[in-house]
Amino acid sequence: MKPKKRFAILKWLRRAISWGLLALLLLALGRPDTFQGTIGVLSSLQFGQLMAGFFSHGEANLIGAFLSMAVLSAIFGRFFCGFICPMGAAMDLAFLARSRIRGHRFAFRPSRAFRLLVPVVLLGLFWLGLTLPFGQIEPYSLMAGPSVLTLLALVLAAFRGRAFCNALCPTGLVLRLISGSPALGLWLDPGTCLGCGACQRVCPASCLDGEGKYIDSGRCLLCLECASACPNGSLRFGRPKGPTGDPGKRRAFLRLAAGGTLAAGAFLTSPELRARALAIPEQAPILPPGALSLAHFNAHCSLCHTCVRACPNLALRPSPSGFTILRDKPVLDAYEGFCQYDCVVCSKVCPTGAIRPLSVEAKRLTKLGLADLDRDECVVVKNGTSCGACAELCPTGAVRMAVGPSGREEPTLDRDYCIGCGACQKACPVRPIAAIVVSGLAVQQTARPPRVLVTEDLTLDEEFPF
Amino acid sequence: MDRRSFLKTLAGGAAVLGLGRTAGLGASPALAQDYPDLVAVRGTSVTAMYDRALEALGGLGRFVGKGAKVLVKPNMGWAVEPSMAANTSPELLSHIIANSLALGASRVSVFDNTCDNWRNAYGKSGLEEAAKAAGATVAPANEEKYFQKVTIPGTSRLGETSFHELFLEADVVINVPVLKHHGGAKMTGALKNLMGAIWDRSNLHWNGLDQCIPELSLYRKPTLNIVEARRVMLTGGPRGHGDSQYLAANMLLASTDPVAVDSASAKILADSGINEPGYIARAAEIGLGQSDLSRLSVQRLTV
Repeated sequence: MKPKKRFAILKWLRRAISWGLLALLLLALGRPDTFQGTIGVLSSLQFGQLMAGFFSHGEANLIGAFLSMAVLSAIFGRFFCGFICPMGAAMDLAFLARSRIRGHRFAFRPSRAFRLLVPVVLLGLFWLGLTLPFGQIEPYSLMAGPSVLTLLALVLAAFRGRAFCNALCPTGLVLRLISGSPALGLWLDPGTCLGCGACQRVCPASCLDGEGKYIDSGRCLLCLECASACPNGSLRFGRPKGPTGDPGKRRAFLRLAAGGTLAAGAFLTSPELRARALAIPEQAPILPPGALSLAHFNAHCSLCHTCVRACPNLALRPSPSGFTILRDKPVLDAYEGFCQYDCVVCSKVCPTGAIRPLSVEAKRLTKLGLADLDRDECVVVKNGTSCGACAELCPTGAVRMAVGPSGREEPTLDRDYCIGCGACQKACPVRPIAAIVVSGLAVQQTARPPRVLVTEDLTLDEEFPF
Repeated sequence: MDRRSFLKTLAGGAAVLGLGRTAGLGASPALAQDYPDLVAVRGTSVTAMYDRALEALGGLGRFVGKGAKVLVKPNMGWAVEPSMAANTSPELLSHIIANSLALGASRVSVFDNTCDNWRNAYGKSGLEEAAKAAGATVAPANEEKYFQKVTIPGTSRLGETSFHELFLEADVVINVPVLKHHGGAKMTGALKNLMGAIWDRSNLHWNGLDQCIPELSLYRKPTLNIVEARRVMLTGGPRGHGDSQYLAANMLLASTDPVAVDSASAKILADSGINEPGYIARAAEIGLGQSDLSRLSVQRLTV
């Protein structure tokens, strides 16, 4: 088989894999009840999310997955961007659709330092514990929790291909540094290349110089468009033997050493210490169970909103402020839903470890907030009718009904047992402000275990009391 | 038989009865007089108690015809194990479903607008699995789209509410609550169990439970009420807590009259010092049934 044909098959295979993964992700996020496991697997393949977990000292499996993915990228180049990235798959669709309709050609663009500015700043802030800007354009976050920026990125893609990946994407920048001189990759044989430029006209990453006869491997996304356009098989896959933008062995080694030292230094400084540098005081919202603290959550959350999609009780919401044009960190809104006593779904699907994995037993004692009872607003007291919706829903017995000063059974609250799940607030019929309201804790605590007192069952005094 | 023809038959039957009455012939003795108004069975096996109670009432075939669409409405609102006695027992539910299907019911459905997350509640109660195994359709009730707004005639508080479409469509509604203490309403039984058939419970809490609970039954009274009162939660209801106290009442009650069955249930709870809930007197007042058990024929049995 001719190389052109072989690469055409591989090109379509790559497109099929990336679009298949994108479709699977969207399907799974759309039906989180059914596809919870799939969401977990797909989100754990996301390099940017693993990076967030790595640099904020997430679980050992996150760190392991990040390091393996980094080693694989150093060997094979940016396969993540070409095969796995869901935003990349969507951007491919955008420019392919446009070039199908309008006809479209790309051109080689030399590497420019100013294009590093945005991702470098985002990574710097991220490292300092301010993950909000990073999360706005981290590509998995863009796809899992779409915002207006998702749309803008797709419009950009329609006109400029994968320019986003090399000029804006923070994950792309890290992969670019890792994959600058891959052990195996695409290379252009200058001996056979005709200099026709067919390859660079189809290169969405603009990393291929058909006239200068080289590929910038750091920017190459392994999309294989070029190789299937080359008329005589001058683009090859393997150990690069032609110019790849590789600065030379000595400089490559120095760069690797410097990058490695920087990464190790970044990893070794305590995330809590870094987070403190940019900590902005705020009223703590109700955080998902396992978020540990506002500081921990802010430093880890990449705003991907996978937890928002997966929350079976629709309790997790995209933003504490309600402002959703850009993304914000997810919080629990107890007017919309409450945190189900036995549910740990969010901690299972979180790809960065911002919501730490919790056992059901530990979750039942995790105090997310504290309820506050405004007796004067309670319908039992105010209207003199029976209610008790709050006590009914309370899973721990923190809210109970007892005859109060009103002479009727009214709710009483023992905050030692309250886990801040919000069930009482959701159930309370009083609106716009419920008579029992949960406020979040900046540091999640452990509640007192619910009272257990096993008493023997009573028996009826007479056989039939009626 | 589809719903329309079933209703026509009902209407026809009622017309014949009405004619009979005006002609001074009286109701056919087989229709009502032979059966007790309320049956209470004591025993330990819930299925045996059910069988005995239904035998006394003339069999489930009196209510479920061939081709009928049956709704069995248990209490499955809580994501807790069956041992907590916060939900109807799986074995009772599956027994009723099997009984209905054996009589030729065209479809038996089960749902509850749960308090806990519906998947957790359907699952942990063991009721979804039991109902499916017995051949019923287990339907979701977690979104407003499954409910239809209706105007309830003769209410003073509620006016209108949204019932689950399966509750409205069913030819026969078999109401199967579990008897227990309830922090807000004092007791949950037959009348209270309809709160799981509507969408907006908050409205009832806001307008007063004692007034609104009976008004739900003004729209449609269940065909038959079967109250499971085997192990009755006395404190910490309706969810139940680790320190809840129980009463081994070992009883099952059955009646077409939700007020009568709730009235008897309240006497079981009164045995342990829980006052009668206010909604029973109110239900009798608006003509939903008889709360004075001395005026009813009550059959007391033991198995």
